[in-house]
Amino acid sequence: MLPTPAIRALTRALGSKALKDRRRRFVFRDAGHGYDQFGLQPDFVALADLVTSPVYRRYFRVESYGAHHLPGSGPAIVAANHSGTLPFDAAMLWADIYRQTDPPRAPRAMADYFVPSLPFIGTLFARTGMVGGSRGNARALLQAGELLMLFPEGTPGIGKPFKDRYRLQEWREGHCELAIRHGAPVIPAGIVGPEEQMPQLLRLPGLGPVPYLPIPATPFPLPVRYRILYGPPLDFSARYLPEQADDPDIVRRASNEVKHAVQELLHEGLRLRTGVFR
Amino acid sequence: MNSVLVTGVATPIGLSLVDHLLRDTRVGHVVAASHLSRVEALGARQHPRLSYVKVDLTRTRKVHDLLFGAARDRGVEVIAHLAQHRRVRYGGRLAHKLNVESLRSILDLSDRHPTIRRVIVKSYAEIYRVSLHLPVLVSEDHPLDLSPGAPQWVRDRVEADLTACARMGLSDAEIVVLRCAEALAPETGSQLYDLLDGPIAFRPLGYDPMVNVATIEDLVAAMTRAIHGSGEGVFNIPGYDTLPLSEAIARWGTAQLPAPGSLISPLYNMRHRVLGTDFSYGMNRRRMHYGLVLDGTRARKRLGYVPQHPVAWPRAPTSS
Repeated sequence: MLPTPAIRALTRALGSKALKDRRRRFVFRDAGHGYDQFGLQPDFVALADLVTSPVYRRYFRVESYGAHHLPGSGPAIVAANHSGTLPFDAAMLWADIYRQTDPPRAPRAMADYFVPSLPFIGTLFARTGMVGGSRGNARALLQAGELLMLFPEGTPGIGKPFKDRYRLQEWREGHCELAIRHGAPVIPAGIVGPEEQMPQLLRLPGLGPVPYLPIPATPFPLPVRYRILYGPPLDFSARYLPEQADDPDIVRRASNEVKHAVQELLHEGLRLRTGVFR
Repeated sequence: MNSVLVTGVATPIGLSLVDHLLRDTRVGHVVAASHLSRVEALGARQHPRLSYVKVDLTRTRKVHDLLFGAARDRGVEVIAHLAQHRRVRYGGRLAHKLNVESLRSILDLSDRHPTIRRVIVKSYAEIYRVSLHLPVLVSEDHPLDLSPGAPQWVRDRVEADLTACARMGLSDAEIVVLRCAEALAPETGSQLYDLLDGPIAFRPLGYDPMVNVATIEDLVAAMTRAIHGSGEGVFNIPGYDTLPLSEAIARWGTAQLPAPGSLISPLYNMRHRVLGTDFSYGMNRRRMHYGLVLDGTRARKRLGYVPQHPVAWPRAPTSS
């Protein structure tokens, strides 16, 4: 992996003025050596900004709606649908949040367990803010006032067959328990586009920590247009006390509310588009 | 005014604690104990408030005589128990007796001791289980490494820690367990120090976990706060420095070579044979992939401990 000074030089040489401005305004909780406790490093965040930029702007031509709902500070959870065989939706959501918040916030993506175990990829993603999807990590990040980005459908969402596109899979509830316990608002997000980027033909059994191997119809994602829609924050702290996070009925109700909000955003995004690629 | 018994003073941390306590006007007398002779353990240190006892803590009778002899005579109120076998590659019955049974005896005896009211146990961050499925930032309720394949060094420390925890609230003496980050100094039992203290450090290719390291000054500060505090509990004692493993190696000035996981164990075995270093890759394999950083929130709130002493790294940061 490239050393940090090389990363910095690369982003300075190739980055646009806007990218450099985002890097300058980006703030993080430095644990003392230029990294936060989970391994985030601002130059790698800028690198991720640089790498995702052409994909975001020119390939998927992301359109963002309702980004004013993203809080500029304090703990919050962005809960989105997950799809597309490969997690380009996570990369584009990350890039969108980083670009749309002021000052820029690098959302802390909660990845499935196997992701941090992948050599190079796990480390690179950790430098841009990704953490393993454990309850303890989420708790620590919310207590530190971070913005979590998670996909309650998990791996089944990204690996669902083409016929199930835009139909949310089993919706995990843990994020709502965390939201209620820590008084963090949940911002629902619907991502329209990735469902059609790599239609999946077949799923083979996984190797090692990878849960499955997808066989897509195309070797690379199609240049579909992404539309990312954020809904108004669902502030459960106004309705529930932190100790009510232990009540399964309340957590289920809150989770259904988030799921319903995301599904509505998906419907709205589908209404907005005039074609998969437009 | 507290009088304090410090076991394991023949270690850099033990010696520093003794020096610190002697400067602390709140401390009456310091009874220092180790298995070495006074000169070997304390050097030329002489102080009217310092006395020394050579004692073999692996023998229950000797522990009894220490507590009901010198400690009682000096009115010791607090024990800071630091004595632990340091080398990973050497274990056996005697090491277990020192690591676990000596603590068990101290806790037993403290319960009926006329003056002892508080026992501070130095535990280790290495007792925590490191796993892909567990948080990187580790609080005190994090699972411990109870795997049967763990080396005796870890198993003994887990057992000692749990032995102390099991007595909390049941003993007349208050028990405080400090799970300390490793101090980057020789003869402290730090595996990371052993990793860095060689001409070359191998690390798993493609992985660069976060590590947290402490200084002796910070660990002594935490112990002093525990000695003067009240109440019981288990506390993580993190160090000031949290950084990626690669950065720690670079800042220590050691050459590093990322290598495929399957090659690293033989490379470290060879390094051990050639250089005699104590680092065990088998024990640290998971930590070198996924990392572990102690969450010191509880120690900050209850003990008022905040790490303040960064490691004096020989090299400038590579990220600057």
